[in-house]
Amino acid sequence: MRNFYLLDINLSTQESKVVDITEIFKDYIGGAGVATKLFVDTCKGDIDPLSEDSSIVFAIGPANNHYPVITKTIAVFKSPLTGDFGESHAGGNVGLAMYQAGFHALRITGRAQNFSYIEIENEHVKIIRADSLKNLSATAAERILSDKYSHINIKSIMKIGPAGERLSPIACVGVDSSRHFGRLGLGAIFGSKNVKAVVIYGEKYWDTPRTKYNAFYKDLYKKITQSELMRKYHNLGTAVNIIPLSKINGLPVRNYSQGFFEGADKISGEAMADKHLSQKIACAGCQVGCIHIGEVRIMFDKENHMYKTKKVSYDHEPIYSFGSNLSIDNSDNMLLLLHEVERQGWDVISMGVTLAWATEAFQKGLIDQEHTMGEILNFGDGETYLRVLEKVAKNANEFYTDLEKGSYYCAKKYGGEEFAIAFNKNEAAGYLTGIMTFLGYAVDTRHSHLGNAGYSIDEKLKNSETSIEDRMKELYDEGIWRIIYTSIAGCLFARRVYHKDEIIPDILNAIGFDGYNDKTLWNIAKKVHAMKWKFKLDNGFDFDDLKLPKKLLHIMTSNGLITQEEFKKGVEIFRGFVKEDLKLIEE
Amino acid sequence: MVKLIKVVNRDQCIGCLSCVFACARTWEHVVSPDMACLTVRRYPGTEGAFSIRVCYGCTDPDCAHACPTRALTPRDGGGVIFDSAKCIHCEDAPCVEACISKSLPWNEKEKEPFVCTHCGICANFCPNDVLVLVEAGV
Repeated sequence: MRNFYLLDINLSTQESKVVDITEIFKDYIGGAGVATKLFVDTCKGDIDPLSEDSSIVFAIGPANNHYPVITKTIAVFKSPLTGDFGESHAGGNVGLAMYQAGFHALRITGRAQNFSYIEIENEHVKIIRADSLKNLSATAAERILSDKYSHINIKSIMKIGPAGERLSPIACVGVDSSRHFGRLGLGAIFGSKNVKAVVIYGEKYWDTPRTKYNAFYKDLYKKITQSELMRKYHNLGTAVNIIPLSKINGLPVRNYSQGFFEGADKISGEAMADKHLSQKIACAGCQVGCIHIGEVRIMFDKENHMYKTKKVSYDHEPIYSFGSNLSIDNSDNMLLLLHEVERQGWDVISMGVTLAWATEAFQKGLIDQEHTMGEILNFGDGETYLRVLEKVAKNANEFYTDLEKGSYYCAKKYGGEEFAIAFNKNEAAGYLTGIMTFLGYAVDTRHSHLGNAGYSIDEKLKNSETSIEDRMKELYDEGIWRIIYTSIAGCLFARRVYHKDEIIPDILNAIGFDGYNDKTLWNIAKKVHAMKWKFKLDNGFDFDDLKLPKKLLHIMTSNGLITQEEFKKGVEIFRGFVKEDLKLIEE
Repeated sequence: MVKLIKVVNRDQCIGCLSCVFACARTWEHVVSPDMACLTVRRYPGTEGAFSIRVCYGCTDPDCAHACPTRALTPRDGGGVIFDSAKCIHCEDAPCVEACISKSLPWNEKEKEPFVCTHCGICANFCPNDVLVLVEAGV
């Protein structure tokens, strides 16, 4: 087996070192497994996530860059949004740049003395003053750094927008123009460390394995590019879900008031492709090219026919959070809102859901025009929402400052907890398909739709008599499999290509990472699952606090009405699984 | 018949680097986008596009003219043939400098150019028909 290295950077002491962590890779594979292990072993309990001692760990897997669509980088940190385990995944070029720089894991601790960005060239680290980047939009910061490093063809730029600098707990870290470590507030941690950006590049590489590797690659390449398995992502992208979900009452509309959107055909994948799609791009090493770039043209001087064009990436979640859930069916307005979110560097789901809460709170009289500085919040009014985002960006008053702290915080302060659609403080993704969706958000360690895909169990088991016990077991098993897959840092869009017996052990074996089978990988994943949960429980998470926002009890989902009792039962069943897994690391 | 690799649909490139990885995998037996006979200039994201730089198959190649030792000589039908034994590994890489389209990458490890043989493996692994292998002169 090859050696794997961690680049360990302490911003406070301005020191960095390369550490051989091959043994940790052997035990935890890479990606989510290795990042979790490195993080929980060094993160002290009760730490303030925005303090100097807080750390961020990034990790890729042993197969990154070696196979199609194994392109992700996993970030693990303590979330300033939830106060417990933070995990977020991004594509772009980070995974390739880390590999070329010669390390499979990167840890950043401490705080830079001055507002800075970090340059990593192979193992050489520079912390560079960057006062001129202060308060710059995420997009401008990337443009400038991209220009500064224009002589480096392959590089990765991770950066934050002003939201991260303001320590918004829903701030994200943007990656290479259109990818993100979106969820759970990594952007605020960058901001707290005085780090605007990280630029990574290098010249290292590994020899190609001579055995079965080329044959595996070719086979996977064919499946990725020619089979139906990936067509959805290559074609319209995840936005293809909009109309089908709406048809089955599964698309959240007007802050989860219903699952059918009357304007779905105007913001659907088909409509977006017809009207706005200007380009598709890919993460390094992925032939699918699922990143859909939408373009909107704006006339800014009618007399002289002067136009400007704004471009922003879109897929299902942004369309849900700034389209259907705000009742916006004007796709121009929706893209302009997404563009502003991109510039400020907020997590698009969290900000969209928080605006939806604010609109309902306004309509119910919990907040008024004094709070909004005269704005009247109406679902569907994209132009007002644009002004609202500008006011949030300026922190124009206390209310607008609060809005970028997320819906849970706002609902606690202003009321309306029953319609703040968040699970353990993390705003919900775009599905109203049934109880398993919400149980999925609730019991996933990062409270994401991507952790266990509860929505697909809802869809698969629609009208089925399968018991809640069996459904929860399926949810748990899918979550464990996803820990394996994210430990090799695969993109979840390609899960159907890699989701079959023995394929992961085989591809690992072909690159010399041998000695694993489905059973050993499963056991590793369960241990990683336990480590994540131990961190959560040690940092204040309590299963008893999980509940369905009351509003959802009265909304018709794709699978009918749902009950708090069933939700609680599902949580209890899952608590039992966690209890069992915890024994693996207690022994 | 001599074949040449051609960029026929530059604007269909998605920047996945599949072509450069295929070249490096096949000829250099490494996993790297920097060890290949072609490069993809990335202007990624929402503000740009991609530009594929692979040997243009010149019939009177500037790189061959620039080579002081005739390690690079014109190939029938276009492009160049590289004789590694004649290469003196110039510090200033005049062959690379001479190729104004930056289609002749430099092998930092061996201190010599990466010379495309127009084998077509990059086209085989391009998912969007950006590159094709064509008969010279057609």
